[in-house]
Amino acid sequence: MNRVHRAVWWTLPSLLCLALYWYGLKCWFAQDDFAWLSLHFDVQDLKGLWRNLFTPMAQGTIRFLSERGFFLLFYWLFGMDALPYRIFVFATQVANLVLLASVARRLTGSRLAGFAAPVLWMANSALATPMAWSSSYNQILCAFFLLLSFHLFLRHIETGRWSYYWWQWAAFLAGFGALELNVVYPALAFSYALLCARRQMLKTLPMFGVSILYAALHRYVAPSATGVYTMYWDRSILQTLRIYTEWTMGTTRLDVVGFEQMKLATFAAWVLVAALAAFVVWKIYRRDLLALFFVSWYVLVLSPLLPLRDHMTTYYVTIPAIGLSMLAAWALAEASRSAIWIRIISFGLAAIYLAAAIPLARAETRWHYDRSHAVRDLMLGAQRAREIHPRQAIVVSGVSNDVFWATFPDGAFRTVGVENIYVSPVAYQRQRIEEHPEIQDITEFFLPSAILLRALDRGDAVVYDAAGGRLRNITTQYSFVLGASKVEEPRFLDVGNPLFSKQLGTGWYPPDGTIRWMGPRAEVRLGGPVATGQSLHLLGHAPQELFQNGTVRLTVDINSRELANFQLGPDNVDFELAVPLPSDLKGTGAISLVLAVSRTWSAQGDGRMISLAFGKIFIR
Amino acid sequence: MRRLALVVVCAALMAAVPGCRRHKKARIETIEESGPQLSPVINMADPHASVQLLKGFYDIEQNAWRWTKGSFSVTLRPPLSAVQKGATLEVKFAAPDPLIAKVKSFTLAANVNGTAIPGETFSKAGEYKYSKDVPASAFGPDAVTVEFAMDKFLPPGSVDQRELGIVVSSIGLEPK
Repeated sequence: MNRVHRAVWWTLPSLLCLALYWYGLKCWFAQDDFAWLSLHFDVQDLKGLWRNLFTPMAQGTIRFLSERGFFLLFYWLFGMDALPYRIFVFATQVANLVLLASVARRLTGSRLAGFAAPVLWMANSALATPMAWSSSYNQILCAFFLLLSFHLFLRHIETGRWSYYWWQWAAFLAGFGALELNVVYPALAFSYALLCARRQMLKTLPMFGVSILYAALHRYVAPSATGVYTMYWDRSILQTLRIYTEWTMGTTRLDVVGFEQMKLATFAAWVLVAALAAFVVWKIYRRDLLALFFVSWYVLVLSPLLPLRDHMTTYYVTIPAIGLSMLAAWALAEASRSAIWIRIISFGLAAIYLAAAIPLARAETRWHYDRSHAVRDLMLGAQRAREIHPRQAIVVSGVSNDVFWATFPDGAFRTVGVENIYVSPVAYQRQRIEEHPEIQDITEFFLPSAILLRALDRGDAVVYDAAGGRLRNITTQYSFVLGASKVEEPRFLDVGNPLFSKQLGTGWYPPDGTIRWMGPRAEVRLGGPVATGQSLHLLGHAPQELFQNGTVRLTVDINSRELANFQLGPDNVDFELAVPLPSDLKGTGAISLVLAVSRTWSAQGDGRMISLAFGKIFIR
Repeated sequence: MRRLALVVVCAALMAAVPGCRRHKKARIETIEESGPQLSPVINMADPHASVQLLKGFYDIEQNAWRWTKGSFSVTLRPPLSAVQKGATLEVKFAAPDPLIAKVKSFTLAANVNGTAIPGETFSKAGEYKYSKDVPASAFGPDAVTVEFAMDKFLPPGSVDQRELGIVVSSIGLEPK
């Protein structure tokens, strides 16, 4: 290769990647990004930094490099400017493509394979999400550490230099900061050594110790797997493998771009799988086990995800697909030296793969771009609205389902300094938002109509329409609309929120942050249940000092009859109580609730006689 | 290997370039209102009109119309003369083929602020205008809620996963 060819060989996959995911470079933030962008609120000192970087979070993840460190550092440097975050993700991906080209060329001895492997991988539609959503940077960074570790291992084998081996160890250890999937690296290295470099096998074994230790630690800190994270060790693993394999081929997801011949799409996926399998069999027949290593890359990296039957995500095949990309690239390289009919079939199959993958990747990247910019318009608009209306509640109408789920549940508005923001409770808006109780209850994000109407009358709320992009103040029109509608008593009370104070009768103290303390007896007014089987839920807090002389009794009366009697003790400092409502209350417009506590307590210097504090009271 | 390391370092440096400047806070202005603008006619193609949709509508399709559910309601500003003369309620809609194929015929009826408006039956697919007089007694000085109900519609799962009624392009109150 001359210099120009070499430059093209190294850079063209990256340029193609940039072209394919151009909209991903311009994406803003969405969903989990806001949780990571909020981390800096809790970092006041080195102890806080340590805690935020290394304390296990949801599902026991640590990911101090790909999520926490990445977002903390970039927020510190660039704030809410998404472009630098995106550039860094793309830069890591460029490094991945370069590493993959080098690894594929070294393994196969083919320049064509070294060129085709990054192109085939980069075009895989599974990469659309990691290339467009900063929270899935963990996939890109984990791929980087796996490829770098393996590349260094290959260099150690080629040169015999131990520095490569120890740098491989460093890259392997750093990979744990990217993603838990990094535990598979020793198996990848061992698999390669077993199949292609047997004398190196022993050198891979110590790394298993680290992976086992990490897996044990992860298992210790992770909450027990429930819900969608339940692991199924049964035949469903094969079913999950089948679906992931179809997704890797891409054609079975063409419905996303409007393709309707799904039987044909599935057939095409399995033709591609069959072609790769035939190549593997031929290579084994020729006693070349490298093809098996490429398959093992796919299976080993995917294996930790296979028991998660109910938590399948298209971008989870990002890293496994590297193995099949190298396999397919090698098949193309071998085909290019074969008979013409083999060349036609091989390159034809590659063309089918790319013809499905590229439109899919573009469409999904564009979807991320559109959603993130709708999120940006809403959030920065809300930030401006907060400047104009510093004290009022902000209510937003015209919010799409995608934008809602990309903002409200993740506390997005806190990152731009906006609190006290809600979605319009009008049924048309409410019904646009899909319920996902398995993820989160979303009731609290909709200000009840009665509360909103009262707030509008007092000038305590403003309403903006988000339907046209820029937020438009529609407070007057909205007041007319809501005023003409049937407004019911709220069945959800945010007790600590001053907007809800009219629902509270005697016995309450002023709000204290997000909660409100009661004395020995307090009154509440709520909308009645709309269906039989609904319960009254009480979420609150009791001071430890209240239990100095034993348990206390909380009595709940509804419409002057006793509904429940709870004994609260030191284990109930934060309590969530639920009591079924009598069926004869169904359809009652409003109910009166009286809460009575058998003991009160007063802090030194505080004249209040307090008993319990409540955050939320609701019927569901 | 050195060349590879150089490429990787260059890529990282390229990413770090934006760090040399401190980012300027992005800002998006809001459109503050100019006065009451509740409309007597809702054009479904206008996304801003969605504030007057109360329930039973799906998102705009092809920038022109919306599917409804079996019942749907809106808020309208009455024409100025409505309190004296009443007004005409007009709904421009299409009865789609799948609906007629399934239900054969359906009746669309309305209710304006509690005043029942006579229904009309449609038994062929096509475009229609449901136009009915609304008496002056149904109106007050404020906005009115208009509720529509179809006696037959497509339940979820029959043609689509959604409950589907008719395809509406506009709903309004015209002066008499």
